Amino acid sequence: MAKKKNKQVIRPWCWYCEREFEDEKVLMQHQKAKHFKCNMCPRRLNTAGGLAVHIQQVHKLEPENLPRIENALPGRDGYEVEIFGMEGIPAPDVADYKRRKEIELGLAAGSISQPPPKRAKVENRPLTEEELRRQLAEHMALMGLNPPEASAPADSSSSGAVYGAPQTYATPPPIPPMPGMTPGPPPPGMFPPGMQPPFPPFMPGFPPGPPPPGFPMPGFPPGAPPFPPGRPPFPPPPFLPPGMSPPGAPPGVFSPPPPPKFVPAQAQAQASQSQPPAAPPPAPPPTTERSEPTVPRPAERVRQPVLTLPNPALSQTNPDSKKAMDLKVKDANFSPEEHRAIHPKYFYAPISEGSSTAPPAEDSRGKKRARAEDFL
Amino acid sequence: MSFFSTPTSTTVGSTGNTSGTAEKDIEVAEPPTDSISSLSFSSQADYLAVGSWDNSVRIYEVGANGQTQGKAMYQHQGPVLDVCWNKEGNKIFSGGADNAGRMFDVTTGQATQVAQHDAPIKVVSWVDAPQAGILATGSWDKTIKYWDLRTANPVATVQLPERCYTFDIQYPLMVVGTAERHIQIFNLSNPNTAYKTIVSPLKWQTRVISCFTTSPAASGFAVGSVEGRVAIQYVEEKDAQSNFSFKCHRRDSAPKDQALVYAVNDISFHPVHGTFSTCGADGTIHFWDKDARTRLKTFDAAPGPISTTAFNRTGNIFAYAVSYDWSKGHSGMTPGMPNKIMLHSCKDEEVRKRPARK
Repeated sequence: MAKKKNKQVIRPWCWYCEREFEDEKVLMQHQKAKHFKCNMCPRRLNTAGGLAVHIQQVHKLEPENLPRIENALPGRDGYEVEIFGMEGIPAPDVADYKRRKEIELGLAAGSISQPPPKRAKVENRPLTEEELRRQLAEHMALMGLNPPEASAPADSSSSGAVYGAPQTYATPPPIPPMPGMTPGPPPPGMFPPGMQPPFPPFMPGFPPGPPPPGFPMPGFPPGAPPFPPGRPPFPPPPFLPPGMSPPGAPPGVFSPPPPPKFVPAQAQAQASQSQPPAAPPPAPPPTTERSEPTVPRPAERVRQPVLTLPNPALSQTNPDSKKAMDLKVKDANFSPEEHRAIHPKYFYAPISEGSSTAPPAEDSRGKKRARAEDFL
Repeated sequence: MSFFSTPTSTTVGSTGNTSGTAEKDIEVAEPPTDSISSLSFSSQADYLAVGSWDNSVRIYEVGANGQTQGKAMYQHQGPVLDVCWNKEGNKIFSGGADNAGRMFDVTTGQATQVAQHDAPIKVVSWVDAPQAGILATGSWDKTIKYWDLRTANPVATVQLPERCYTFDIQYPLMVVGTAERHIQIFNLSNPNTAYKTIVSPLKWQTRVISCFTTSPAASGFAVGSVEGRVAIQYVEEKDAQSNFSFKCHRRDSAPKDQALVYAVNDISFHPVHGTFSTCGADGTIHFWDKDARTRLKTFDAAPGPISTTAFNRTGNIFAYAVSYDWSKGHSGMTPGMPNKIMLHSCKDEEVRKRPARK
């Protein structure tokens, strides 16, 4: 967004009168009409020089008798500077204008005049021990040592701004109970045939943010587990013997693998409860993460994937277009949804895999801690 | 029809030359808390299922005056990418980034997992086969699986050349769009092998495919790409002269002669008239008549991208979601980004076909 804002901030402006314009075309039209218009005939010129030549040659005025440029700020009504749209503006004036603009918009000095740094600014101050530790962890994660929960703060510290945005977005305004939505079953008879017992209505007002996954929904019949008792929950695929798909098999058939879905799901739910999207969670102090070693979240973070092509040889490139265009979706290889699905906010790590990777992650975490302390 | 008589105050971006009706569109109360990925109307009643990136599926009842009421909600463990109804309108299916396909029984209010893939399920669709209904799921694991809901294993798995991005079914026609611009056409009486495999007529990434049937003999599909373009393509070679493509969801940017090109996010065909809508990341929706090759209606630009659209079963309600579609990546998700579902009452002249051009 920063880029865009920047673009808006330094919109084309007229050197003569310091008016801003949507784009340069309009600016040029403005300059022709307001500043480069001959006041002795309807002729409009493109530049101040053109106007001067026109007046001298057509209206036979001596150069020293040239009228000042109309509608111009004091000191900018001369013909010396050749302005054409945004071109030709003296550099000091550009800098001055930008500086004033910054003040006007309450931006930090230099935010317009200098291109914004690609990465978040590094503050120049002695780092606290906490930060040092985090940076070390970050570095180690980078080196492939994979300290699980260290990468989580690293993740958030390196992209604080990035992470902050969705939080505010995801935070819904507190939804007042809808007037039409009375808690309790709605009056009968509102349902089309085939939907006999009214299914439970929404709770009056959703809980802010997505409810924790894996939990029975508010409004579900009380006591109903996320999976109905009559039907065994889908066993995770690894346990599913191929070909053995018993329709209506007793739940016991699938019971041996203690549904690994549930425990982590709840742990995850806890994690997401401890970090409700409403609260600003971007940088939970590493200590709290450490105190919850069972939380699968760090492991998830470590497994945070990058989009990889199944077959890099088949990588696609967008064809050249005849006309210049600003394509909004530029990646030829992945859809916006694929990008979105791996974003930390949305990424879902299958629990079965997550639990299998958790123990080694745990180990490396311990190792990492020891080494960090060595270093310190 | 006094469908949406109560005017609501909706902020509408003004673009000038559009026919403004958006201020009459009605906003669905209690929308999802995150972007809306999918909308689907029941084929039996005015019930709207909504899938969202907040991991949930919500079901709303749409009343005669366009007022909505939340009816039920269930969860995935990851973002929901698509929803659909079965033919009878008593079950809802959804697929999500948790690699799971779930079924919600509206009579009991129970959600069960009915499908499983190795990667997020991008599309779900109900196949109204004459013998028995089948659920088809398409995933980024490069497969389409068919499920008869009685067993935990798919009744069939089709290997696709690439990740499934979209498919649409007008029984017995199914058209699948994948990454790398492959398009596979299936005849669902033989669902295991592609009837035809082509490369997309569009040169940019396929985003959405929607099928249509003009007559028993001629069926085809519309393909929307990220490059603001839609192609109308007929299945059979004999109709190939009717194939065409057109540009949409573009805007001329002022400083240079450089068009801003937005992705076509969804294409929905009108169930009665066979006209269709396109919607894009530019926040506009258009209704088109492919036979007359004319634009029937342009909506005022919404303040955010239109992520998905749907007609109800009779085609008098057009639902669209104004919500972020990740077209600008994470940084595009600004705090003020709207996230809402709007219901538009379709006037006949907006959706009826025009007499063909002379």
